[in-house]
Amino acid sequence: MKPRHFLAFSLILLMPVMAYAGAAQKPIIDGYMAAAKAENAAFSGFSADRGKAFFLAKHDASPETPSCTTCHTADPTKAGQTRAGKDVAPMAVSKTPDRFTDAEKVEKWFTRNCQSVIGRACTAQEKGDFITFMASL
Amino acid sequence: MKKIIGIGTFSLALLGVSLALTGTGNSALPQVDPAYAKECGACHIPYPAQYLPKRSWERILGSLDKHFGENATLSPKALQPIKAYLDSHAADAASGNPRIMRDVAVNNTPLRIVEMPFWIHIHHRMIERKAFDAPKVKSAGNCGACHRGAANGQFGDDD
Repeated sequence: MKPRHFLAFSLILLMPVMAYAGAAQKPIIDGYMAAAKAENAAFSGFSADRGKAFFLAKHDASPETPSCTTCHTADPTKAGQTRAGKDVAPMAVSKTPDRFTDAEKVEKWFTRNCQSVIGRACTAQEKGDFITFMASL
Repeated sequence: MKKIIGIGTFSLALLGVSLALTGTGNSALPQVDPAYAKECGACHIPYPAQYLPKRSWERILGSLDKHFGENATLSPKALQPIKAYLDSHAADAASGNPRIMRDVAVNNTPLRIVEMPFWIHIHHRMIERKAFDAPKVKSAGNCGACHRGAANGQFGDDD
């Protein structure tokens, strides 16, 4: 295969991955993409499947919030509820189109919730996978 | 008949508490600060500044990284106006209602409104404790489960 053909072929392969994230989410995805490459030279793109596994995973950092699903429920297309009883709009971009469009808000909630649920900061890859999953639903 | 008298007495008692607390009979609190409503109201109703003393709000804002089992940290920029609002509208601020502070010991720093003597006095005398554990209520801190206007500072018996 000629190098030029290989490049075209690679782009075609990548297209479904790029199509996952909604256009409105692209600037934030791009930001985490750059950060993920800086964190890990072997980084090869975000994955909705990895994002899903991350979202559903159970952790033992906190008895109150063992998982993202504690408040968001296991179905991101449904509304969740905080522990204090307040509704949380669905995380799925198809249901709440302005999700992941305000970088400051996105970082605020990752900062809080990663510490609450996992007990550490999330990596850029975890954040990008998460958003890619939410944008794919 | 006995039942009607019972209900009547109950209503009058509730009304009496409302009047005693507000002094005016109008139980709606002043408009909530927008920054406070936006940030703190994201997870729970914006609990009235007027229902805890300054020292309580200071301790709560100083420990947002461990906020009732969750990390609720705010940037210093976001925190500043909220701090100023709570400080100037607390139960023991100049604008506060002294009745809210009744029976709060000087060395006591309640971190929940449901620990305040005025709250306990009103609720536990009239409402069965198990009502707060009902699935729809979840906790006594979910004011809006019973007070429909809670998010707007309305805690009257009809709100």
